[in-house]
Amino acid sequence: MDKKTTLTQQMAVAQEPEKAIVERKTGALSWVAQNGIFIFLAVLILVASFAVNGFASLENLTSILNRAAPIGIVAVGMTYVVISGNYLDLSVVAQVATAGVIFLAVGNEYGLFVAALAAFAASLVYGIVNGVAVGYFKANAVIVTLATTYIGLGLLRFFSGGSIFFGNPDGPMEQFGQAKLGPIPASTFVLLAITIVLSILLTRTNFGFLVKSFGVNEKATRLAGVNTDRVIVGAFLVTAFAATLAGFVFAAYSNTAVSTMSQGFDFRALAAIIIGGTSVFGGRGSVLRTLLGVMFVSVLNNILVLVGISFGYQQLALGIIILLAVTLDVLSRKLGEK
Amino acid sequence: MAAVVEAKNITKAFGGVKAVDDVSVSVEAGEILAVVGENGAGKSTLMRILAGIETQDSGQVIVSGEVIPKSDAKASIDAGISLVHQELSLVPEMTVAENILLGSAPTTVGITRTRQMKQIAQAALEEIGVSVDLDERISKLSVALRQFVEIARAVARKPKVLILDEPTASLTPAETDYLLSMLQRLADRGMSIVYISHRIPEVFRLCDTVTILRDGKQISVLDVAKTTPQQVIDQMVGRELKKDLESKRSSSPGHVVLKAVGIRAEGVNDISLEVRAGEIIGLGGLVGAGRTELVRAIIGADPRKLGKVTLTVNGKTKVISSFESAVKAGVGYVPEERRTDGLALTMTVAENITLPNRKELSASGFQLARKIRTFADDLSKRVGLRPPEIDREAGQYSGGNQQKIVIAKWLGRRPALIVLDEPTRGVDVGAKAEIHRLVKELADNGTAVLVVSSDLPELLELADTIHVVRDGTITGTLSQEEADEKRVMSLAAGEQVENA
Repeated sequence: MDKKTTLTQQMAVAQEPEKAIVERKTGALSWVAQNGIFIFLAVLILVASFAVNGFASLENLTSILNRAAPIGIVAVGMTYVVISGNYLDLSVVAQVATAGVIFLAVGNEYGLFVAALAAFAASLVYGIVNGVAVGYFKANAVIVTLATTYIGLGLLRFFSGGSIFFGNPDGPMEQFGQAKLGPIPASTFVLLAITIVLSILLTRTNFGFLVKSFGVNEKATRLAGVNTDRVIVGAFLVTAFAATLAGFVFAAYSNTAVSTMSQGFDFRALAAIIIGGTSVFGGRGSVLRTLLGVMFVSVLNNILVLVGISFGYQQLALGIIILLAVTLDVLSRKLGEK
Repeated sequence: MAAVVEAKNITKAFGGVKAVDDVSVSVEAGEILAVVGENGAGKSTLMRILAGIETQDSGQVIVSGEVIPKSDAKASIDAGISLVHQELSLVPEMTVAENILLGSAPTTVGITRTRQMKQIAQAALEEIGVSVDLDERISKLSVALRQFVEIARAVARKPKVLILDEPTASLTPAETDYLLSMLQRLADRGMSIVYISHRIPEVFRLCDTVTILRDGKQISVLDVAKTTPQQVIDQMVGRELKKDLESKRSSSPGHVVLKAVGIRAEGVNDISLEVRAGEIIGLGGLVGAGRTELVRAIIGADPRKLGKVTLTVNGKTKVISSFESAVKAGVGYVPEERRTDGLALTMTVAENITLPNRKELSASGFQLARKIRTFADDLSKRVGLRPPEIDREAGQYSGGNQQKIVIAKWLGRRPALIVLDEPTRGVDVGAKAEIHRLVKELADNGTAVLVVSSDLPELLELADTIHVVRDGTITGTLSQEEADEKRVMSLAAGEQVENA
């Protein structure tokens, strides 16, 4: 056996091709797709500060932060579902509204603690239903979460009668909603905190690694002995917890909640995620960049409002930017494969 | 006589490795040209370039004096080059007629003209002298009939040149005879044929000329009538081929590690087998015989209909019910499709190697970065990854190196049983030898090894015992002393091959 080994080894050395590695020219495009957000955001803020009247005022910046917080919290959570290669979780719309209504309706009667318990119990149900359907039953995430959106909103309207809920004046919700540290609203700190926590969860833990790995190659991850179904449930649970937190922040800000409060959160969150450089194909992405994507979308929206562009055109602008970001993602991926 | 098809100075590299290196071939009307070489010699790549499926880096393909544009499959077909693929490319859910005319069905404003389609399909089948029901679904046909339908599909395009890539790989000797006489008839009618094979006797029965490739280079072009099989084999291998008896491992297998009883699954019909510690069991057979299905059912990667599998490690016996439980119990699995099932190509080597070992490399859910690095670093060196750079994407490495990464994934778990499915397919000769060394080393250290391979020399070199599988059952078991290529093939094909 030894003689043979040495013989084959000699052959191996003799015939080993000189270059066993393909140097990949990922190029500028891929760099822009992943890191462009830093530049885009910086440029946008710079231009706006000089060219847009009223942008650089303290009031305006505070208002941007106030509006960015709920959508941002949803987006950093939903980044997990996108990275796992499951496109998005449409039901965040229903989840945010459900949480908002519970925090005010239950909170008024039984206090914030009980309300929080009830809200997170609801998010547990959302996360598990979505995750089990997509993970264990291999259903398409878009269809599943579309269904749970309608079921969730339907139940919410049934129980709430479609009415608007107001928090007790000067209750804990309103107090939190109006709390500030200097000019910075409390909700901004919630956004920062959840971003940091979810970023650590994604980059430093096994669970985060498996979410990414599943997004890159589902089969190879399963064939490494990983319980991939559980990983998917985890990704939807993270999204659901974040959406509930967003519901709290959003309801506290205006001290009101209604079943229609979070309309459009699904796609605005997705826009922020994609613009941030997370790939819609899964496997590549970052929670921190999603935060930047959120800021970009929020600042852009604010600019459009300040210069008096109507809502229709705001939607148009957002649509075009998503399209550009997705194109960049697709192109950089294609180049990377060559 | 003028060449019908000519390939001039074709070169094609994959990531720095020249798969085809300045090769020129030409074939005249009615000529049968053989292209021979070992696995990985560049035969298939050359043919894919001829058919416009692969883009050459340099060189030209010329049909009847006209240069065919690069990587334009349709232009190649229109010019008269028709390729019969090595892997069957039929759609199993569609009928024979639909498959024969797939992509070229006659239509009126987009609607298929069914009757005319059937006429063309029938004509093609008659031309090759095969009778099949045109409305039968492909999935109902035997492997051999599928192969003939595939040829009919190529012939239906009325090609000037028919290229066949290992057409007899899954045929019995009788079917092979039939195929060879059919090709002879086509050539007699003026069709040119390029015949790729590594079965030398077939080449000598059928072909006029033989081109020998080795490591992508053209070694020689010989007149078949003026050469001998031994000469061709020597040039193919580039060294004198001798049976190296010293390669046999002195095996003294230990206790039974894997015990699979009465396995039934899709394509597997009541198979039982055992693998002992330190033993290498080989599964031989033709492509499609049910070997991959068998091993996947055993380790729970695919569902099983019936049967019980247990794994005994350190005196403890565990039942394997799912793939997850198999890995937990100590199974490692190197799948057949390394690029889709074995690796996450855009993740780094370190990430891939540590994927099944995450629990051991973390503390209460948090990854231990430094431990992960040393772990991946050690293993990549142990399997001979070149260069051992663990932060590179796995997809950047060549096939052989990629396979080493897949093996490294499992080495780190010190598996009690490792299952390898076609461990060296598409791997260069050097890496192949290293992978063989790794597999033997594993067995020497007490791991039970179950290996599926269609590469007969590989099976003979590695396995202590070979089970031959045909149609989902074990048709024979050969010990290392009994096994030779002929015996394995005759059991695999289900026919007695005459003893020469």
